[in-house]
Amino acid sequence: MIIRIATEADLPVIMQIEHACFGKDSWADETMRFELLAHHTHYYVAVEADQVIGYAGLSKVPVSEQADIQTIAVTEQQRGKKIGLALMQKLLAKAKQLSATEVFLEVRADNSAAENLYRKLGFEQIDIRRRYYQPDGVDALIMRLKLEHRSRGRQPLVLGIESSCDETGIGIVRGNQLLANVISSSMDEHARFGGVVPEIAARAHLEALRPTLDKALATAQVSLDEIDAIAVTNGPGLGGALMVGIGAAKALAVSLNKPIYAVNHLVGHVGVDVLERGELQTPTVALLVSGGHTSLLLVRDLLDDVELLGETIDDAAGEAFDKVARVLGLRYPGGPEIDRAAIGGNPSAIRFPRGLTLPKDMEKHRYDFSFSGLKTAVARWVEVAEAKGEDFNRADVAASFREAVVDVLVSKAVNACVEKGVPRLLLGGGVVANARLREVAQERCDRHGIELRIPAFSLCTDNGAMIAALGAQLIMAGRAPSSLSFGAESTLPVTTVQSR
Amino acid sequence: MSRYTLAIDTSSGTSVALLEGERLIAEKTIADTMRHAEVIGDALVEVIQSAGAQSKEISAVVAGRGPAPFTGLRVGLAAAKLFAAGAKVPLFGVVSHDAIAYAYLAGESRAQVSETKPLLVITDARRKEVYHSLYSGLDSSGAPIRIGEPAVMSEQLLMEHLADRGIDPIRIDGQVSAADIGRVFAKQLLAGNENRDVSALYLRAPDAVPSPGKKVSG
Repeated sequence: MIIRIATEADLPVIMQIEHACFGKDSWADETMRFELLAHHTHYYVAVEADQVIGYAGLSKVPVSEQADIQTIAVTEQQRGKKIGLALMQKLLAKAKQLSATEVFLEVRADNSAAENLYRKLGFEQIDIRRRYYQPDGVDALIMRLKLEHRSRGRQPLVLGIESSCDETGIGIVRGNQLLANVISSSMDEHARFGGVVPEIAARAHLEALRPTLDKALATAQVSLDEIDAIAVTNGPGLGGALMVGIGAAKALAVSLNKPIYAVNHLVGHVGVDVLERGELQTPTVALLVSGGHTSLLLVRDLLDDVELLGETIDDAAGEAFDKVARVLGLRYPGGPEIDRAAIGGNPSAIRFPRGLTLPKDMEKHRYDFSFSGLKTAVARWVEVAEAKGEDFNRADVAASFREAVVDVLVSKAVNACVEKGVPRLLLGGGVVANARLREVAQERCDRHGIELRIPAFSLCTDNGAMIAALGAQLIMAGRAPSSLSFGAESTLPVTTVQSR
Repeated sequence: MSRYTLAIDTSSGTSVALLEGERLIAEKTIADTMRHAEVIGDALVEVIQSAGAQSKEISAVVAGRGPAPFTGLRVGLAAAKLFAAGAKVPLFGVVSHDAIAYAYLAGESRAQVSETKPLLVITDARRKEVYHSLYSGLDSSGAPIRIGEPAVMSEQLLMEHLADRGIDPIRIDGQVSAADIGRVFAKQLLAGNENRDVSALYLRAPDAVPSPGKKVSG
């Protein structure tokens, strides 16, 4: 009898044994296929005279210190020949090799032969799940084996790829430690169009991939062989742009034979705080404002409980800056241009509308935003002034517009903190570069006793480090990797932190 | 030992192949033209595993460069770039139409093709246009000889152009197989004509018009 690594070609005979041994508790073909192919699982078959007579599988997520015996089965004719024992020894050796400190399994309480085998190997019962096996109503015993060796305590080295809009970002982290954060932006190529052109962004991603990767590796002083896992943004964002990062990330994961984690871009903006503070303090409200997003989130737990409180119902705040910059004859991107134009301007000179703040709107859109009416109001105001031949103060218009945007953003975010009883506000997204936004947020947070967190600007704009950091958080929490079949999800909800 | 070529083409569907020189070891083609990003990872794993190979046994990656409509083409090129980075091997490009031409010219019908009776490869460019390339036969290494660069236009206009030039080609349209991308690469490599250019052949400018000016209201 020999024991060798199971391959997909073994699937049919494994399923035959599965059905014979487990009957109605059997796994589906697809489940078993995923188990055989997944990066974090290790399956073996026992072979006698060219016939597969048994199989067993271990699950061990990289860097997590716990491993699980997923399944074990031996054909009825071959029992009593210590084949199960040999398979178990193989799995335990693998678990040790992978630096696991504990191995868990569950067994039917009425399967005393198996239970005795596990006890002989040193497993002890630590828990019982009543009536776990249905419809028979049989209890499951949870057993654990502690392995004798010291944990290396190593944190996962994760490479993150971000391509949801116009920045190609590749970041490398070790656990919560930032090692590299390289960004290649196609912003200049969009300038003459007054906004991000999806096709131009996607073309630029393809060109930037390899140089950005090489630079990130050089900055972090690591080689690809050392990387434990790949993380990639799979949404929300521009579909064609996301697909470049996804295709690249999957191929890199396959070539390195490492697991892949498909993560949510917006949750990445929140999770990035771990790189500066070692952890994300929760609960926190997060206000994410960029050219593509204006979202208000309530984060009770980074990986398990992210709630979308509200978002823009039309333009993103960054888009409003770009469009008003055009109205004022300024260049793209509008944020810094309007900041410059507003110098010396009076922010209360013109009372521009604050979208969705009237009582009737607040009922339905308490935490939502709207900027298209504001943009139109500024355009009308300027056109009327010009039609009358009035010499208006451009600095006043810029300052008043900016004040309207900042006021509504900060008011709704602070309201959310107060109303939800959350003592923290985290800002993220490229519009955080706006000094007036930071200033007003600080004033009002101070007034309400709210702690304001603003990560470094290079971590606020779209970047790969935040994606790598979120991937590392998932790994350290023992989460299984994504499959290789996820796609780009332009409208991925924030409740989906990781796509399978 | 490094010995395999990994070929990837997403100019029509998603096609991945593993070759040893010109010999095909394994190939996976998914015809769906909307799911390149979803299927590319599993296709790579399947092709490599079904050959019992490991990625470290791959010594070169070759990618189909199109011509093709934008989005899908990029998935294969992006995958090829970072697979090559991960495997630390060189990356090469092949014009995807060359693979279609090769499949035809390596068959029995090739005798009919000549400089005066060239082979016209046509693929769908969407928007009522086609991508097309002309071939006069195979060179001494066995690689297709492309006469003129790939281009895009309406099929009617193309036929008029060809008629004006007195060309009455043998016309084929086809699906690109990564196996043929790999075979063309093997021929080019033998003849010393391999190409490191992996730039995407979009043949169209991005759809965008410069900002029209500032009037936004009314």
